[in-house]
Amino acid sequence: MAAVSRAAMHMPPVPNREDLEATWKYLEAGVNKIMINLADGIDMNTYMGVYTAVHNFCTSQKAVNTNNGGQIGGAHRGAHLLGEDLYQNLITYLTQYLSGLVEKSKTHSDEALLTFYIKEWDRYTTSAKYVNHLFRYLNRHWVKREMDEGKKNIYDVYTLHLVQWRLTLFEQTNKKVMAAVLKMVEKQRHGETIEHGQIKSIVESFVSLGLDESDPTKSTLDVYRYSFERPFLEATKVFYQTESAQFTAENSIVEYMKKAEARLAEEAERVPMYLHPDIEKPLTKCCNTALIADHSAILRDEFQVLLDHDRYEDMERMYNLLARIPDGLEPLRSRFEAHVRKAGLAAVAKISTEGDKLDPKTYVDALLEIHTQYQGLVAKAFKDEPEFTRSLDNACKEFVNRNAVCKSGSNKSPELLAKHCDHLLKRSTNGTEESDLEATLTQIMTVFKYIEDKDVFQKFYSRMLARRLVHTSSSSDDAETSMISKLKEACGYEYTNKLQRMFQDMQISKDLNSGFKDFQAGLDSDIKPIDATYSILGTGFWPLSPPNTDFTPPAEVAKALQRFAQFYGQKHSGRKLTYLWQMCKGEIKANYCKNSKTPFTFQVSAYQMAILLLFNDNDKNDYEAIRATTQLAPDQLDPSLSILLKAKVLIMSGGDGSDKVGSGKMFALNYEFKSKKIRIQLNMAIKADQKQEAEETHKTIEEDRKLLMQSAIVRIMKARKTMKHNLLVSECINQIKSRFMPKISDIKKCIDILLEKEYLERLEDDELGYLA
Amino acid sequence: MTETTSNFITLVSNDSESIIVEKEVAERSMLIKNMMEDLGDAVLSVPVPIPNVNAQVLKKVIEWCTHHRADPATAADDDSDSRKKTTDIDEWDQKFMQVDQEMLFEIILASNYLDIKPLLDVGCKTVANMIKGKSPEEIRKTFNITNDFTPEEEEQIRRENEWAEDR
Repeated sequence: MAAVSRAAMHMPPVPNREDLEATWKYLEAGVNKIMINLADGIDMNTYMGVYTAVHNFCTSQKAVNTNNGGQIGGAHRGAHLLGEDLYQNLITYLTQYLSGLVEKSKTHSDEALLTFYIKEWDRYTTSAKYVNHLFRYLNRHWVKREMDEGKKNIYDVYTLHLVQWRLTLFEQTNKKVMAAVLKMVEKQRHGETIEHGQIKSIVESFVSLGLDESDPTKSTLDVYRYSFERPFLEATKVFYQTESAQFTAENSIVEYMKKAEARLAEEAERVPMYLHPDIEKPLTKCCNTALIADHSAILRDEFQVLLDHDRYEDMERMYNLLARIPDGLEPLRSRFEAHVRKAGLAAVAKISTEGDKLDPKTYVDALLEIHTQYQGLVAKAFKDEPEFTRSLDNACKEFVNRNAVCKSGSNKSPELLAKHCDHLLKRSTNGTEESDLEATLTQIMTVFKYIEDKDVFQKFYSRMLARRLVHTSSSSDDAETSMISKLKEACGYEYTNKLQRMFQDMQISKDLNSGFKDFQAGLDSDIKPIDATYSILGTGFWPLSPPNTDFTPPAEVAKALQRFAQFYGQKHSGRKLTYLWQMCKGEIKANYCKNSKTPFTFQVSAYQMAILLLFNDNDKNDYEAIRATTQLAPDQLDPSLSILLKAKVLIMSGGDGSDKVGSGKMFALNYEFKSKKIRIQLNMAIKADQKQEAEETHKTIEEDRKLLMQSAIVRIMKARKTMKHNLLVSECINQIKSRFMPKISDIKKCIDILLEKEYLERLEDDELGYLA
Repeated sequence: MTETTSNFITLVSNDSESIIVEKEVAERSMLIKNMMEDLGDAVLSVPVPIPNVNAQVLKKVIEWCTHHRADPATAADDDSDSRKKTTDIDEWDQKFMQVDQEMLFEIILASNYLDIKPLLDVGCKTVANMIKGKSPEEIRKTFNITNDFTPEEEEQIRRENEWAEDR
């Protein structure tokens, strides 16, 4: 012990190990040195002296045998009691020391108070680390034992320092400190530069003071949350409520949105700068409420104005703001949907004045323009958010299916769309490049997606495809197949099945024709056959019906047909061939014309060919003779003749002298025929036919729908056996709506038909049963 | 900072003998380790007084610390079962502990004071092994303890601790 006593200059004498008073006196001097004057450093002897004094006191034996001669038991009880004395003395010392600091703190305020608090805190916590080390023996034995026994409010010496700080200094100063912090933050929000490191230190101090009372080894944020976070959020709320109320009164909404955006960014930056990360969520929420939610009504009112003026950037801003609050966007979506619908309807209304002459392209382009415009808006301003996309889809669906053009019925949209496709896919109608065509077809699919009556589109499309295939007027096979695969992708295999079969038939026909050529070459015949190609179209796949008139083909053609029939009969016995005369066409060379060295070529329909070939035998034929020979009904014969007359291939005379083709007229070949072109197209669609076809198409649609509904009903009932009437109806709608929107009354009619046909039976209680 | 000042420190025993020790070895003592952390390198030129330990014991402790200088530091409060239950002692430590009883207890007290937990454990385990399997009378003999219990007291204690008897 000699070494210690020599070196303890300003220290009281080294105490007797059993003398509490002396021991504490010695320890207090040491602790005080650390607390008050740590900056000057602490000498080795004091350090070792204090540690040893604590150790000696705790191990001193009050028991009779004090000498350490081989007795290790019995010290526990003493350590127990004596340790507590040191612990309590330390608490008393700290309380006194901290009370002194509280008094000193009263002379400071605002930033000076913060400086004082931080300085004292730093000094105190550093000292606490030292004292903790010096009292380590107490920690290891007495404190540990107390804690193991489950005693409350016993802490290791370092934690004890924190607890005492909280109980004395923090308790009395935290409100003032916080007021100073908030003052600084407000200054910063007003644009002043502040020493934010101070706030960071305060946050750290407050966080350190959070101790879990039930488990002292864990810390909690409770103290910080109550004393820092709560007042901080409250002040933030008040600040922004006041500011935004004033700002919106003096500025436009757009200006306000910019301001709010900037403020939100500022607050987000504030967190990593000097706040605890835990505050991020509540702070964001607080700002969102004060800056956005409280003003959401006026923001939304502004949305319509922004929409009307295509202010993309400002809408994006509004989207970003309202996306931050719960349910902030829903009202925007419904406004957006209504706006798009209105825009779509207006665009259609503008072009609907053209009535029946409305060009399909104009119509489809009008629809697309609206869609493209607002899809762009969704992408640019609303980040392609799925809910906004859905609103766009809803609006488009609405104006595509129900608009000024569709007044007569929702069939009009799919019909016009199909017609537009036909124009696009027909050869040389507009000279679009392959790649452009592909892009246009993709656009078509955009509109197609919105069409409710997809079956109507299918009907028109398949008719027009049939025509393109038979007349080989498609611009490219690639474009055709691409379109079909697009439709298949959208509606499934069944939807395009027939279209694909039509394509296959054309391929098979090609092979068949070359086979027929070989067959013809092998025939031993001196008659030169007419050069003909045949398309074999499977009944049922093609939307074509047999001719509505009798017709006797000219002898030349009949001969060729006979050969083909013979050839085909060999290949496929038992198949019946029906000639679709109305689809046939051919070319005739006019060798008789005086005005031309090279003979004209007339491109004609089969009917026109039959008429013209009569003039090989006679220069003149009267109406009755033509009718008798060709067997054509007047509604086909008359228009065919009219075209020939109009083109001045034939000259009409006799009868009552009127221009009208009919009974009693005489027709003569015009030897003076003139034309600038060598090839003359005379095969023009007959107007009556077109109209009839459209009507027919609509009629078949109705019939097909009935079948579709009936098969759906049977399918459902087969699976369910029995079902309530109204459930069946809704399930039926569910299955069919991808093709068209069925009317409930129509479904009921179909159910009645099936009842009549005894596929179904009525059971009790509005139930229906399936009859196998 | 030169090698010599930074790598060695001088410990002074209570019988005023100076012993120069490598810093790494001395740091096996948590007391010295914390002290060096707290006071900084500047104080290291000053001899460190060890007022509770004499030179003979201090040298013995340093011997142990030198052998175990590279042991991984045990976790602050490692109360794991292995440390609590096993009385196994590593061969070198067993040999190290083959000292007279007086020295054994001095080592235990010193390691407790200097805060060298692994050494304290080895010491206590050695004592535990000395007790294991012995009757109270044998234990008294081993540690030179006079029996100050009355027969009644002894009987009561036996009953209270019946559960622990090795049968």
